[in-house]
Amino acid sequence: MYRLYFLNFVTNRLFLLLINKSTKGVTKDLEKKFVSDLEKHQNIIHKVCRTYTINEAAHKDLFQEITIQLWKAYPKFRGESKFSTWMYRVAFNTAISLYRKSKKNVDTGPIYDNLKELEYQDYNDEKDKQIDMLYKAIHKLNDIEKALALLYLEDKSYKEISKTLGISEINARVKMNRTKIKLKKILNP
Amino acid sequence: MPTLENIKDVWKKQEDCKYNFSKQEIFEMMHLKSSSAVKWILIISILEFILPNIFLLFFDYQGTVDFYNKYELTGIMGVYFVIHFIIILFFIYIFYTNYRRISAEQSVKELMENILRTRKTVKYYIYYNIAIAGVIGVHIFYKVFQSEIFLEQLPENTNMTLIWVMALLMFGFVLFLFWLVYRLIYGFLLRKLKLNYRELEKTE
Repeated sequence: MYRLYFLNFVTNRLFLLLINKSTKGVTKDLEKKFVSDLEKHQNIIHKVCRTYTINEAAHKDLFQEITIQLWKAYPKFRGESKFSTWMYRVAFNTAISLYRKSKKNVDTGPIYDNLKELEYQDYNDEKDKQIDMLYKAIHKLNDIEKALALLYLEDKSYKEISKTLGISEINARVKMNRTKIKLKKILNP
Repeated sequence: MPTLENIKDVWKKQEDCKYNFSKQEIFEMMHLKSSSAVKWILIISILEFILPNIFLLFFDYQGTVDFYNKYELTGIMGVYFVIHFIIILFFIYIFYTNYRRISAEQSVKELMENILRTRKTVKYYIYYNIAIAGVIGVHIFYKVFQSEIFLEQLPENTNMTLIWVMALLMFGFVLFLFWLVYRLIYGFLLRKLKLNYRELEKTE
């Protein structure tokens, strides 16, 4: 029996040691600043969420996870890059690699069932309809292409794109061209 | 109808998202628990570190000691244990340093590489466990099959090669099952990440 207690103790300590990212020393001020920064720039996250999810529940779920990841990383944010650039990076990382998708909510794969998309509210406005069609086209891209498409639409420079994705500028250009060709085919089949 | 030529114009027409969150909502969200894949990788990795060795805790200690004494294995098993323990600590150290490198602030590629590297440590740890189990297993077989106590129990003219083949086959099968289960978990955890990583790396 004592062996089990010992094992329990050891695993608990190890677990705490590994996951306990304590927020000691982080003041209320930092929290306030973070909340106001995020509120101001939340549109960026919404765009990423809408790119990587297909319905409202998943959108909110992903937004939440990105917020948690941003807050976790916030104390380390030194302002070396623009807040929006930094946000993109964390948001993409969360959407592509960190977020654990629940199957019923999200489908980010290239094989895509259009019917599922009806869960997003229908838009009456012509403008909203066009935006919706654009998102539907983006949904047909793979995870990396989605990021490229979003960065292109947001008018980011190749330098910034290459830094965000961690690939060379040349590679970013090649990939961007391919993504544009793919997007064109989807939009005008 | 959006076309490649006008998609930027269409995109710019986007106004604030209809589910814009208030400061209070953001404040509540930021303090929620993360359900990130990395957390799962950590939990599963810790289990994988423990599981290959957990059965040692439930072994009949006296029975094992008696068995080792009977076949003169006590000394060498002590050596194996010390080496095994040092190697486990080494793996945990490497895993921990790799794990600490994971940060959502990195570039998309860097983060993927760090996650993959962390998992690779576990992969090598599992391979190491299979290898050491193989070595110790064969060593035990060798000692037992050579011992008088064992040979006395066998009928005359027993084909020792056949005994060896059967013992190794059975033992190998158990190790293979262990490897298979591990591969399934590994694939399940990293399939998507690997696909995306390959996509990012591709440069033709």
